[in-house]
Amino acid sequence: MSTDTITPSEITREFNAPRQLVFDAWTKVKHLNNWMFPMPGCRCEFVSADISNGGSSLHKVTMPNGHQMWLFTKYEEVTSPEKLVFLQYFSNEAGDIVPMPHMPDWPKDMLATLLFEELSDDTTKLTFLWEPRDPSTAELAAFEASRADHAKGWGAGMEQLRNYLESI
Amino acid sequence: MSRIKTTHDVFSAIGEPKRRVLIEQLVLKEMTVNELAVAMQWPQPMVSKHLSVLKQVSIVSERKDGRYRYYSVQADQLRPIQEWMHQFEKYWGSSMDQLDSYLSQIQVKGDDSEH
Repeated sequence: MSTDTITPSEITREFNAPRQLVFDAWTKVKHLNNWMFPMPGCRCEFVSADISNGGSSLHKVTMPNGHQMWLFTKYEEVTSPEKLVFLQYFSNEAGDIVPMPHMPDWPKDMLATLLFEELSDDTTKLTFLWEPRDPSTAELAAFEASRADHAKGWGAGMEQLRNYLESI
Repeated sequence: MSRIKTTHDVFSAIGEPKRRVLIEQLVLKEMTVNELAVAMQWPQPMVSKHLSVLKQVSIVSERKDGRYRYYSVQADQLRPIQEWMHQFEKYWGSSMDQLDSYLSQIQVKGDDSEH
């Protein structure tokens, strides 16, 4: 596969909150600890946070089953209240980046770009773009392969594969 | 079983669309190279080439029966892929649900944003 330009994965969301508040929710620890986890019942704890241009943070997410995940984040751009750019990594509790097990080709540097757009005084649109930075050919292939929306021939058959995997 | 040195891992192996088509075929039932070549109307060497990559990363296994070799998908090897598919949408999409409810919660309480 040869793809010259990377198409980022994208999520857009609208929030019923002023833009400044949505931005602060992503950049202030007092907010972050209250929501930055993927399901209710988790706990989030930022143990260090310098959320500014060139800064970094380290936080721990504890899943309901007790499983802990450490995430190290490097902030490339923090422009209140409109833009946030960071690289996020799995790490240990010291903040050392750890490679992902079983996934030697998963892109090492995944870049997140968040754009905060004011729709009205109390409505904010958030666009979240996610893409590998300077990926090797293998990393790019891994990223592309992991995307649900990508590639002809990985559509209807993929559904079958998923059903199959769930059935065993 | 001897381990073949390879530059492929599971992800690069499925990065090639033709190999995904092969996997999809073999998920349904085990097949021989010939059957695959007929089913997909590909030249047999092409089928063999892609099969060998899938074998290297253990996505596909081979069973010998008389003079035929049957190929099938090793579902366990595909688990990491399934787990990582939708990873972004799942993790961040769900996190944004949390953000959404948190934002409504604090705004009801009147805990205003800082200016």
